[in-house]
Amino acid sequence: MSSPRTARRLNRILAMLPWVIANPGATVEEVCTRFDYTPRQLAADLDLVFVCGLPGYGPGDLMVAYIDEDEVVVEMADYFAQPLRLTAPEALSLLAAGMAVLSSGQAPAALERAVDKLRGAVLPDDPEALVVDLSEPELVGTLRDAAAEGTVVSITYTGLASGATTTREIEPWSVFSTLGNWYVRAHCRLADAERVFRVDRIQAAEETAVRFDPPASLPPPVVEYTPSEGDVRAVIRLGPRARWVAEYYPVETVADGEDLVVRFSAQDASVTARLLLRLGPDAALLEGEEVAAELADLRARIGTRYGQ
Amino acid sequence: MQNVVERILNLLAFLLTVERPVTAEEIRHTVAGYDQGNDEAWRRMFERDKDLLRQLGIPLELRPTDVWEVEHGYVVDQDEWALPDPGLTDEERAALLLAASVVQIGGSATGPEALLKLGGAPVGAAGEPLAADLGSDQVTVADAFVAVGERRLVDFTYRDKARRVAPYGLVHRRGHWYLVGEDRGDTTVKVFRLDRIPDLATSGEAGAFRRPEGFDASTAIPHAPWEAGGEDLMATVRFDAPIAWWARRQLGTNNAIEVDDDGNLIATLQVANPEAFIGWILAFDDQAEVLDPPELRARLLDRVAGVG
Repeated sequence: MSSPRTARRLNRILAMLPWVIANPGATVEEVCTRFDYTPRQLAADLDLVFVCGLPGYGPGDLMVAYIDEDEVVVEMADYFAQPLRLTAPEALSLLAAGMAVLSSGQAPAALERAVDKLRGAVLPDDPEALVVDLSEPELVGTLRDAAAEGTVVSITYTGLASGATTTREIEPWSVFSTLGNWYVRAHCRLADAERVFRVDRIQAAEETAVRFDPPASLPPPVVEYTPSEGDVRAVIRLGPRARWVAEYYPVETVADGEDLVVRFSAQDASVTARLLLRLGPDAALLEGEEVAAELADLRARIGTRYGQ
Repeated sequence: MQNVVERILNLLAFLLTVERPVTAEEIRHTVAGYDQGNDEAWRRMFERDKDLLRQLGIPLELRPTDVWEVEHGYVVDQDEWALPDPGLTDEERAALLLAASVVQIGGSATGPEALLKLGGAPVGAAGEPLAADLGSDQVTVADAFVAVGERRLVDFTYRDKARRVAPYGLVHRRGHWYLVGEDRGDTTVKVFRLDRIPDLATSGEAGAFRRPEGFDASTAIPHAPWEAGGEDLMATVRFDAPIAWWARRQLGTNNAIEVDDDGNLIATLQVANPEAFIGWILAFDDQAEVLDPPELRARLLDRVAGVG
């Protein structure tokens, strides 16, 4: 296997050559900015191109590539005049990224034009065949603005596990989306600690007049659940139709056969109980007294509600 | 690394100009950099180079060298090499690069390699922190994308059943990727969640089917999970006042909603997938109640009792 560095270097050469051929007179600075080269790297790649070409490998067969004063010159390389096509993953991820940002309603007009053109080139038969919908809940805009301006926001929040509703002031650092949910990472003044809040569980958000200084560097935009001491643990058997649980929640695999047996931790037993109830016959609780008690309680409560 | 890059540039220059299939043996004796080592070392080197070409998206194909098809040789087709030029302006490229830097698929951001191929980015675009993750396994999504674009049939297992599907479109919504297509088994159009497909494989020729006139992937996926299914029930649900805001947020605008004097929410909604509907209602704990139809109440109670 060749190293990723080799692949990146080749890719850049095969992208740079057609552009220089199409833009005669391009300066070193232009080429460097556009293709993320240092002048040294560019000179090294041009030197390399200079010794390559067609069989015979004499002066008339090799490509010509050098820097003249400040100008990048490429000649005798017309077979590399066409930029290389995008691979399927490249085309997909560029298009999907563009469409995701468009669907959030935050995009400049240039992005809309770019997506239309790229879609026409990649999916000429049916540009409607790809849809990326990253619609935002109503409060995302408010929170994003507050994060950008460094404004403290007062939120009314209902916890996922506890179901308790509190009003608290937060210093929003970043707003992000993962696995279909939007989150805001913030310093919570009530808890005096870093917290991640699910935006759809925020009933109301209001900007205050108070400013804060954002941290110098932000943690990556992922929701990491690290099991801790006080967690409620359970062992669950997941049938084939419930296997997705293992990808969606941070679980530890105990046994993997036709069924998957996992160790499941949650801050609150009610989270696990509700999940088990939802999964119905596709899952079974193997170990975990606290969860079993919570599940029995949940069954009883809902039964009562329905007059049973 | 320099040797590899030189060798490959020479190989590509040769293949892009000869316009006929070239046998491995001819490459070995004609292209600079290949005529070295014993047979075994040569073969390994050539295999590695072919891998690298594939990784870069270079369309290297094996074709018969003559009508008798005794020998096969390598071809790089100029038409296959290049993407039809989408004609992006610098501003559009910059917008696309920015979008790619805030969105990732399957845990990896779009590398700048893709954008270099489209002519590079004119500004040293600042890497904004990633703000959205479109989830799912990048390889499966990319394979499905290619099948959609080239209109090739796909085979896979879904809900324990082997399927052959004509893929009409690919949609990302609510955090998941969906494949929309006609199931060749019963010729109905279905929606498949990509992360529940363990074994997607493309089969057969390109252009194997036509999409129905006016097909729009964005309308093929329902907005709520319980709207996707084969049943047709009208359900009336009561959501208690404390969680009414959250229910309302998830219901969207196309359902009939009434609020009684105590702030409870009475919603009437169409249910096509009772399983998904029950799962959703159970997430409200005992604070939501299906009032009608009795059949749905009974199914929910079966689930709660652990028999459904």
